Amino acid sequence: MDFDLEWTPAQLAFQSEVRTWLADHVPELPDHADPADLTADEYALQRKLGRELGRKGWLYPAMPSEYGGGGLDLGMSMIIEEELDRYHLATPPYYDTGGRLGSASIMVWGSDEQKTYFLPKILTGEIRTWQLLSEPESGSDLASVSTSAVRDGEDYLVSGTKIFVGSNHGAEYSWMIVKTDPKGDRHKNLSWFMMPMDLPGITVEPMDLLLVGGERGAASGVKNTVYFDNVRVPAFNLVGGENNGWEVAGTHLEIEHGLLRSAVRADEMLERVMADARATTRGGRPLTEDPDVQDALVDFYVNSQVTRLLHFRNFAYRAHGRQLTYEGSQAYLHQKRSALSKARAILEIMGPRALVSDPEWALADGHIEVHQRASIVEQHPGGTAEIQRVIIARRLGIGREQREEPGQLPSTKKQGQ
Amino acid sequence: MDLNLTEQQIMLQSTIRELRERDFTKEALVAIDAGDEPLSAHWPGLVSTGILGSLIPEEYGGVGASLADTAVIYEELGRGPVPGPHFSSGIFAALILIEGGSEEQKQVLLPAIASGERVFAVAITEENYGWGPQFTNTLARARGTDLIIEGTKLYVHDATAATDLIVATRLENGTTALLHIDAHGGGVASRSLPGFATGLCEVSLLQVLVPRSAQIGATEDGWAVLDRVIQKASLILSAYQVGGLSEVFDMSLLYSQTRRQFQQPIGRFQRVQDHVIDVINYLDAARWTTYEALWKADESRDGAIAAMHTAATVSSESYYYGCNSAHDVHAGIGIVREYGLTLHTKMSRTLYHYLGSPRYHRKRLAQALGL
Repeated sequence: MDFDLEWTPAQLAFQSEVRTWLADHVPELPDHADPADLTADEYALQRKLGRELGRKGWLYPAMPSEYGGGGLDLGMSMIIEEELDRYHLATPPYYDTGGRLGSASIMVWGSDEQKTYFLPKILTGEIRTWQLLSEPESGSDLASVSTSAVRDGEDYLVSGTKIFVGSNHGAEYSWMIVKTDPKGDRHKNLSWFMMPMDLPGITVEPMDLLLVGGERGAASGVKNTVYFDNVRVPAFNLVGGENNGWEVAGTHLEIEHGLLRSAVRADEMLERVMADARATTRGGRPLTEDPDVQDALVDFYVNSQVTRLLHFRNFAYRAHGRQLTYEGSQAYLHQKRSALSKARAILEIMGPRALVSDPEWALADGHIEVHQRASIVEQHPGGTAEIQRVIIARRLGIGREQREEPGQLPSTKKQGQ
Repeated sequence: MDLNLTEQQIMLQSTIRELRERDFTKEALVAIDAGDEPLSAHWPGLVSTGILGSLIPEEYGGVGASLADTAVIYEELGRGPVPGPHFSSGIFAALILIEGGSEEQKQVLLPAIASGERVFAVAITEENYGWGPQFTNTLARARGTDLIIEGTKLYVHDATAATDLIVATRLENGTTALLHIDAHGGGVASRSLPGFATGLCEVSLLQVLVPRSAQIGATEDGWAVLDRVIQKASLILSAYQVGGLSEVFDMSLLYSQTRRQFQQPIGRFQRVQDHVIDVINYLDAARWTTYEALWKADESRDGAIAAMHTAATVSSESYYYGCNSAHDVHAGIGIVREYGLTLHTKMSRTLYHYLGSPRYHRKRLAQALGL
């Protein structure tokens, strides 16, 4: 067994190429504790960077180059991810589930015309895309959505309401699942659409939430309610065939259930808390000499190692072309649950100061207070802890002779292929 | 980066698996545990695989394998769990001799351990229980050129099966000495301790006379040697716990599929599913912290010590809690001895404190992290 990410000479050369390029192209951007504070100007700079990355195939490096991706293996993709991470950014450097999730569904299920039309726009950063899944009455039971699409000539007419959508500063497209056969059987009555957001009849309204987090530079900041009032969309935008939407969604849900997280990212919060505990004295003694604080920090550390290793295992298996079954949801479940225990450890160690965002007293420029909220917010996206458990149970075959098959993924290049 | 076993490791694993499935069936393990069948009847087969010499360098009659290769063996043995002095002798005592022994001690004793001719047990802890020099009260007083040992060692693994002992003692100058003694010599008496534990013994030492040459690592304090040994041995113990928990998971999964209540497999109930999922979550946490720590130790990487303490903490806790969850899945059937789950439950308790409890390893981890 070998846990090293040994880069080959070719990969090391690539690493220095990426490093040099990023030094010339990454704009000065503040590391907001709360992503909702991202300004329009900052967002514009992120989009510009995204398009520049897109031109080099580095925005979605693992996607096929014929559609605007980089055609790179997971190792090269990881190098780009690592280098962007130094700037507190990710691929893409803004919230976009078109490339992270939707493009995989289009790759697997789209017609040649649809791939040629949609994928280059997504993969080069020309457009950004939100995902529209949850509805007021459909959360964990995603297949029960009631937003409808009714065929009308060469178009469909879409009506309904989606919640927990997108981010701040708008989007050019959305992908969504809608009901196309109100009388059809469950899982065989849905369809998957790529929806231009400038169509008449679409209204976007921000939701008032505890916090909206996300992955560093790809954090979303805001979630919206999106209303569809008889929105006319061409039939061309239906991907994967009418009433086949649940299968199409299976592809991106598979990725969302634990395959999104970078395998290399250090636990920033652990580093922050350790550094802060070392620098703090209480009652005239360093905080780290308090045995209770030591216990809390060690718990934090151990939890963090397990989360890291489960994600690392998943990455290594994928890099070797091994199909994951329960592992994605297992890592995701661990990440969600340990977020809560870490938040409690931080509150224990830091006291009420962990809860304060006041500029004079806030810890780590507000990142600690945001983490207290984020740990709760993190419990539901991509499926609750309970939904992850349902997936694990089905994939392991608990109580079943037949194990559930994972959703179909686009093939990924193996290391060094 | 490659998280697969090497071809050689896969061969090693299947060799040990064949042995286990032939000589250590569930029926045999239950009978050994109940005292209805002597372990000694199964011992020669185990010895013949050469596992006792796995960590011993080739020049001393061993295999000279890495910690990771040796862990493959122990993960497989843990699946039984296969009891007996293989760990005490082939791992713990062998590492003490490798780390601290004189050239002569190594040349004489290590080949005998590797071949199974001598079986060692290691007597460290006492009534005043703990893993550290401050817990050693057994005295070794000078008498001429000899030492006289007096004291009682407790919770010694496998002492009744041993031909030789390594005993931690306190010298008159306050330092710790590791002394090699004959398990059947004058003044030495070992007995098994009955209860909810596997292989724990009491060793009483009454006026035991040994020459000074019996001391292992005479040039440094015995705890300095033990500290280094525990860093390696506990990784092998973690692998054994990972193996044990793998078997516990397989039993739980199969039971969830085959046991029917309310006209359906019990695994259809999400409350039961949660317990099975808990087992695999404990298992994978133990597995990957252990594998990474083994790799770091073999490759002498930064953070190897922190990784070892992390693995020891997670493996001991995971085996313990994983067995609890498995009992939740199995309910009444789980406590029927012949079913075999209790072999693991008992082993998870027995190993919980061995080479340091999770609490001990957490404290050491805090030190390793510079807290």
